[in-house]
Amino acid sequence: MELLERFAQGDRDAFEELFRQYQGEVFGWVMRIVRDRGIAEDLTVEAFWRMHRAHARFDPTRSFGAWARRIATNLALDQLRKMRREVPLVVDTADVARANPAIQRETREQIAAAFQGLAPKLRVVATLSLIEDVPHREIAEALGISEVAVRVRLSRAMKILREQLKEQVPGNERN
Amino acid sequence: MNETDDLKLREFLKKGLRPANAELRRDLWPSMLGRMEKDELRVPWFDWVLLGAMAACLVFVPQMIPMLLYHL
Repeated sequence: MELLERFAQGDRDAFEELFRQYQGEVFGWVMRIVRDRGIAEDLTVEAFWRMHRAHARFDPTRSFGAWARRIATNLALDQLRKMRREVPLVVDTADVARANPAIQRETREQIAAAFQGLAPKLRVVATLSLIEDVPHREIAEALGISEVAVRVRLSRAMKILREQLKEQVPGNERN
Repeated sequence: MNETDDLKLREFLKKGLRPANAELRRDLWPSMLGRMEKDELRVPWFDWVLLGAMAACLVFVPQMIPMLLYHL
């Protein structure tokens, strides 16, 4: 029997195999959204736990990766709602170290704060599209919305970011 | 706002925030097993509701005690 069918029937070995196969992908996706390694690990485990519980609802003819990403995205969005105004966007020290040295620390913090100020559903789209360069189609699939809705959210997020950062963005000083 | 402004904003944001290092550095399966065991040990909420309802019945309708003992 195929791996996905065995998983859908509740086979624990099949679940472990899928976990090992997809944990990196799910972690990577969540990490791009929440940008905190510890939280991303916890959310990855929680996402797989939900998949394990919902195995009977999984359709083995569909893509496991897409299903996993959708569940993980919903969890990450919930996490962003909790984190709002609590934890700064750039909390990973490695992330800070890799940041462009030409950009002042203060400016980086202002950018992080501007992202943090966005509503979670705008922030997730802005982070994935503007920072992570994820195609709109992938963002739409993960959020369960249309590509048009992704573009609308991105446009709204950019408008807010532009307003928040109008003093810092080169060429925007005239505004 | 035109496309040039959008591009400027994108470039500016990308200089300030780099893509996250999204590589998984450890196997999460042991954590997954821990999560599964934790949930297996947890008493489901409806069991607590049932227990509470039974306790309430015994307190407010003590006549039920002999009936309950008989069924046990």
